[in-house]
Parts: sequence; structure tokens; C-alpha cells
Amino acid sequence: MGRYIIRRLLWVVVLLLVVSATTFLVFYALPSADPAVLRAGKQPDPGLVRSIRHTLGLDQPIYVQFYRYMERLIVHGDFGYSYTNDADVRTQILDRLPATISLTVGAVILWLAIGLPVGIVSAVRRRKPIDRISMGAALVAISAPVYWLGLVSLYLFSKDIGKVHLFPGANTYQPISKDAGAWLGSLIMPWGVLAASFAAFYARLLRGNLIEVMSEDYIRTARAKGLAERTVILRHGVRAAITPIVTVLGLDIGILLGGAILTESVFNVPGIGRLAYDAIQRSDLPMIQGTVLFGALFIVLANLVVDIAYAFLDPRVRYG
Amino acid sequence: MRHRLLTVLAIGASALSLAACGNSKSRNEGPAGVGGLPGPVSGQKSGGTLKVLSNEGFEHLDPGSSYFQLDYEVVYATQRPLYSFKPEVPQRTAPDLAAAPATISKDQKTVTVKIRSGVKYSPPVNREVTSADVKYAIERAFTPAVANGYAASYFTALEGVDAAAKGKPISGIETPDAHTIVFKLTKPFAATFVNALSLPITVPVPKEYAAKFDKKAPSGYDSKPTQQAFTGPYVIKDYQPGKHLVLARNPSWDAKTAGDYRPAYVDRVDWTIGADPNVAGRQILTGQGLVSGDTPPAPIVTRAVQTAKGQISFTPLGNRYIAMNTQLPPFDNVNLRKAVLASFDRKALQLTRGGVSAGDIASHFLPPTAPGYAEAGGAQGPGFDFLKNPSGDPALAASYMKKAGYPSGKYTGKEKVVMIGDNNDPAAKTAQVALEQFRKLGFDVAFRSVQHETMYSKFCNVPKAKVQVCPNVGWLPDFSDGYAYLYAPFNSKAIVPENNSNWPQLKDPQVDAAMERASNTADPAARAKAWGQVDRLVTGAAPAVPWFWDRQPNIQSKNVQPVIAQWNAAFDLAFTSIK
Repeated sequence: MGRYIIRRLLWVVVLLLVVSATTFLVFYALPSADPAVLRAGKQPDPGLVRSIRHTLGLDQPIYVQFYRYMERLIVHGDFGYSYTNDADVRTQILDRLPATISLTVGAVILWLAIGLPVGIVSAVRRRKPIDRISMGAALVAISAPVYWLGLVSLYLFSKDIGKVHLFPGANTYQPISKDAGAWLGSLIMPWGVLAASFAAFYARLLRGNLIEVMSEDYIRTARAKGLAERTVILRHGVRAAITPIVTVLGLDIGILLGGAILTESVFNVPGIGRLAYDAIQRSDLPMIQGTVLFGALFIVLANLVVDIAYAFLDPRVRYG
Repeated sequence: MRHRLLTVLAIGASALSLAACGNSKSRNEGPAGVGGLPGPVSGQKSGGTLKVLSNEGFEHLDPGSSYFQLDYEVVYATQRPLYSFKPEVPQRTAPDLAAAPATISKDQKTVTVKIRSGVKYSPPVNREVTSADVKYAIERAFTPAVANGYAASYFTALEGVDAAAKGKPISGIETPDAHTIVFKLTKPFAATFVNALSLPITVPVPKEYAAKFDKKAPSGYDSKPTQQAFTGPYVIKDYQPGKHLVLARNPSWDAKTAGDYRPAYVDRVDWTIGADPNVAGRQILTGQGLVSGDTPPAPIVTRAVQTAKGQISFTPLGNRYIAMNTQLPPFDNVNLRKAVLASFDRKALQLTRGGVSAGDIASHFLPPTAPGYAEAGGAQGPGFDFLKNPSGDPALAASYMKKAGYPSGKYTGKEKVVMIGDNNDPAAKTAQVALEQFRKLGFDVAFRSVQHETMYSKFCNVPKAKVQVCPNVGWLPDFSDGYAYLYAPFNSKAIVPENNSNWPQLKDPQVDAAMERASNTADPAARAKAWGQVDRLVTGAAPAVPWFWDRQPNIQSKNVQPVIAQWNAAFDLAFTSIK
């Protein structure tokens, strides 16, 4: 297992290098704004443009720029600074990380708490009214675009512009370190909105897997041994049916840690997703690079965790 | 202008469906029932917190590099340039850090400014401002660490300016005493130069304090704006890029001692960045103590016009036009360009931005608030037949096309026309309408739609990119003067290899000469007349289709007494108060 983890971690480094190089290439291959020219203003003196280009290192060949970027990154942990507002990229990302983690963790807990029980009940009560209602609701939740759902929930339930004044609305996010109560209140609706489609998807996925597992021979054997139906379902059925869920969960967490752009935008939760979106809009390469690298890092690490979790969940899986 | 331009082009959000709300009444009033532009009123109360919601964030809060509408809202509340604009008087500068209007020498090559006594920096600097601080502020603006976006347009006439890029003093800025600064120019440019002294490049910067920030590129004075030395009524107390900004009272500022005309009513400004525009709009209209920091979206503007007329105002802004490259065939033919102007349905273009409420159909380039507008023909325009019918005149277009050498009345040449547009709505809609109209005239157009920034920095701003039509360009001036409106977009000397703003690449000796004369005219009335004449000449040369004079909507909560800084088309944070 130890060797496996080390090997995977080495692959993580390679992957991040590839991601970084690809981002660099995409930025240069596609027509995008020239940061030096943008910074120079109107009717710029060519000398000034040259100086800015030199200051930003844009006068070097692309491979030199990439090498220097990676050198700064690896040796000093320096991601550079934003072309748009001169802010330090690493500081910006680390500053946004707590909001993204808050949003993701809360939403994950919520969708697992809703999706898994609903999936199990639907599978066990297959074709019964509760199954039909649950799956119908799941379909609606999956189909509802996050942006739309966010706006509707704000217009219905927020304290300022809602019809029923239940929860703090948009633009109210506070870091947990500053005001835990305000943090919790400000995230209730974003968690709900973000979790809705995931909960629905997980419920449907678990339902399908569990139905399949429950028809396996070993389930019949377990029942024949006289085990309680609850034990059969939870200990033998769900344990086998949940492994694909763990895979998907790992990826989803990785992706969301890279930023939940729409939810962050509607509720103005200042996370990494919105930072990345703004950077793309403004051709802010250092910020794009930073957010892409962080996103990629989260996804590969989540994958690694999933693979390790597999070994514990499914005894048939072992790593050499 | 690039950054200020971004704002103009973002106005598009004030949009569709507004056409139904407005009518064709007098100019610049916005939709029916919406009041005039809110200015200062008597009895405004002090105290409270003003909350600002915006989707966009700030770019540069260093006065040496700030060049964006949102940045200006903060910079002009926290700092004092030599001159500035009172919110309700956008046409005339008022002495700010300066004690009196600038003195101009007879040869128009020397400008002398006296600086007020008693203006102090905020802690930790805490000392009185001197003329040397203004000199340093201008010099640092030329360095790559600060990289000011407009210095090259207005301050290169200073003697010895080239030294500044190498971090050396500019010999043409002299400080004979602590309260006098003298600008020596290489040409008779003073009449224009004094207007540029209202730009934030003249905000004093204490060298002994800021030099350590300026050693780094980009300057830490920009990336750590809370550490600036402030001279205005407020200081930046907290700033988290893309998230939040807080202004608090400047403990070193006292209006009476410092001779500041700003009342600074509110105790604190709490600015939230990243707000969804639709949600923020509703929060502002139904909430308390809130104002919009950027342009509200179409549904919110419509809602405000229909249900909360007292909470919205429309401020005249810049212009929009469709530029044709006069240096490349087929648009090097003036009659062909006139045919294009004659054929264009500018009403259809107006609808792409939201109809009459969002702005008026332009008949020339100087917009209604610009000095020289009336002299250029006012709303009716200079009287050229090819701009007479805002819906387009196909017969007249055909006659100009014949004069251009196309007997069929349609373009039958072989050149394929390259047109580069903005892919963001509503600019994309404007480009589509323009595309159809060019095709209707017989042009074979190769149209490419790209990101807003890319459109400028890779195509329209780069002469060697050989773009023939840029349908999504427009101009917001740095200050209200004909020079700021017309020089960079239409003077042949303004054509530069990168970041070129003379998009039609107009090289007309008559226009250039008229601009030279107008630039050197000091008397305001004569200057307005001179720039009006320039506008007539530019319009007559038909380098572009002028089609829109924008109005920017701003909204506020019921309990806010709004004051719009008309020169910036945004709330004046130092004048707006809580009721």
C-alpha cells in the first residue's frame, strides 16, 4: 500500500506539470489579451510597453516563461501576481479556500444525508409510491439548473428579498473565524442549492446499484442465515452498492474544491470558482494558472483517497 | 482609456425591453417619470454606513495607475488630485489640492499651480502635503512599476519626460517652494494640460514613504492599498481583492483646515464585490442604505423604471461607433464610407443596447454633455445628408456608392472585409446588426467574434492586424473636454502600433490641424467652438458610423440621498448620504 501511494503521488506531480504546461499553451495558442498592452493604457510609448513586457517576463520565449514560472512555484511556492489587480495569486487562492471548503463540505454532508437514505428506501420500496415520489423529485432536482434554483430560493426564502423571510440571503457570507453564526446562516441556502442535484443523483445511483446487489446470491444466503432484513440491507447490500458512489463522491469533492462557480456567483460566496471565472474573463494568466493547478491538485488527491478507500470498503481490492 | 472604456462597453447591460419604457422626449432624461440627475441637496445628514454592491472588482487603487470607473469612485473619495470635478459640474474642474485655478503663461508652455496649506496625509505619514509629492507622483507614473495608462496621452509634453521611465526626475516639473509646482511644456499645450491635472496621476505621493513600495514591480502601493498615505476624507481601511472594501474616516482630514469641498457625510462605506447583478439589484431596491457600484442589469433597470422611479437615475456617458479602417481598401474611399453611413439603420443599432432609455442615437461624435456638442450641431448633428435619416437611406447610400465607383449602387469589389466583434451581449447583437447591414450593401464580410479584451488587444488596437471594421468600439473621455473626446480616436499622431485607439486610423491633415488649433485655445467658449468644428470635420470625413450616446443607470435604496458624480457616471461616495 505504501509503495502504491508513493507511486500515485509521483504521478500527481507529473499530472500537475502536464496541466500547467497545457494551460500555458492554451493561453498562448488561442487569441487572448496581451497583459503588457492592457497595462500600458492608450497611446502607449513603445518603450513603456517593452518595459512592462520585460517586467512581466513576457518578452521571453514561452518555454523560458514556463520554466521560470515552475521554478518560482517549486522553489519559492510563488504563483506570481495578478495581471489585473497586482494581487498575489497564492494569497488570493488561500484566502478563497476556506469559503470553497465550507461550501463543499457542508453540501457534501447534506447531499449524503439526503441522497443515501432516499436511495436505500427507494431501492427497498421499489415501485411503491414512496419510490415513485422520491425518484420523481430526484428527476426535478437533477433537471433544475443551479443558477435558476439559487435565484428562486433567494426570491422565496431569503430574509431581504424573499417572500418568506427565513435565511440570510446573498452577499452575507462571513468566514467561520469571524462569526460562526453568520457563517452558518449564510451557507444554509447555498448548501441546499448545491446539494439538491447531487443528492438526487446519488439517490438514483444508489437505488440502481442496491436493486442490483439485492438480487445477488450472497444476499439470499444472508437472508437464509436468518439475519435481520435491516442487517442484510445495510451490512451486505449497501456496503457493496456504495463503492461506485465513493468513486463519484471523490471526483465530485475534487471538482467542487476547484470551485462551484454558479453557486458561489449567485450567493456571492467568495470561493475559488469565482476567482477562476473572473481570471478567465480578464485573461489573467497567473490567476488562471493558479486556480487550474489547485483544481487539478484537488481532483487527483481526491482520486487517490478514493482508491485507498476502495481497499477498505471492498476486501476484493488490494494494491501491490 | 482602455480601462475606462471597459466600463462604457459594460453598459450594455442596461438593456433590452427598455425601449418600451421610454419615449422620445428631451435628451438625457432617461425614461418617462425618472427624475433628473441627483446632485447635492441642502440638509443632507451626516453619519451612517453606505453599502455598495457590485459585481465587478477594482483593478488599481494606486492613484498612479487607477484608470477604471470603480477605481475612481474610491480614489476620488480617499485622495485629492490637484483638481477634480464637483459632482454636478462635470464640465469644469474645481481646485482640490490646488489652492486656485492654474496660471498659464502667455506662450502656453508653462503652467503654475499653487497648492493648499494644511492638507495632511493620513497616518503613518501624517505630515503636510508639499509640491514635491505631486512631482514624485507624476514621475513614478511613468515607471513600469506603476505603468499609468494615460500619462503618455497628456503628460509627454513635459520637458525631460523621457527620464522618468528610467526612474529619474522630470526636469520640466519644478517645485520652487513647498506650495508651488511649475510644469514646463515643450509645446503650447497648457490649455489641454490643465484639464489633465484633474486626473489621479496628480494625487500627491510621499516619496520617503512610497519609494519602498515602488521598488517592487508592480508597486506595493497598488497591491496593498490600505497602506497608502491618504489625503481625502476617507482611508481604505480594509481591502480584499474581489471580495470586500471598507472606507473609514481619515483621522488627518478636516474639511475646513484642508479646504476640501467634499462634505463626506457617511462615516463608513462598506463595499461588497462579486454580487450577482440581479440579486444585488433587488436587494438595493428593497433594502436600506445600499447603492449600485456598477451597472444594474436590464430586468432591474426595467423594474426600477416601472416601480421605483425615485430610485434610479440615468447619467449621460460616452459614445459608440462602428469604425472603418480608412487606410485599407475598400474603406480608403470616402464616398464608400459615406454610403455606409447613409445606409446604416442606427435605430436598429440603438435597440441592441436597450432603446431610447439606454441612450440617444448619435449624429456625430461629441456627446450631449461635452463642450462643443452644441457647436457641432447638437442633437441634429452637423447636417450631413448621410447622417440625416437614423433609419438609413438606401437611395442616398446607392448614390454615394455610385460616386465611389460602383455603378450598381452596391459594393461589388473583390476585397473581403474583415470585421472583429465582441462576443459578449449586447455588443454581440450590435455586431450582428452591423454585419447584416454591411452585407445588405453588398460587402463580403469575414466576421469573427472574440472576447472583449481580445478584440482590443489583439485586433482592433493593433494596426498591423489589418482589421477593416470594428463594430463595438466607443469612447469615454478622461475629462470633459474636446481633446479628451476626439484626439486619441481621430488624430493621425495618435496612431500607435499597440493599444491604438484611432480605430479608423484616420489620417486627415485638416482634422489634425483643427485639433492643433483647438488644443491651444484656452478661452472655454472659443475652445468649445473649436472642438465643435473638429467634430464637424471628423464626422464629414466619415471614418466611422456614430450611432449611440450612452446613459448609465444607477440605483439606490429609498433611504439613500444619492449624488451622482456626473463626470464618472457613478455615485460620489463623498457626497451621497443616508436619509
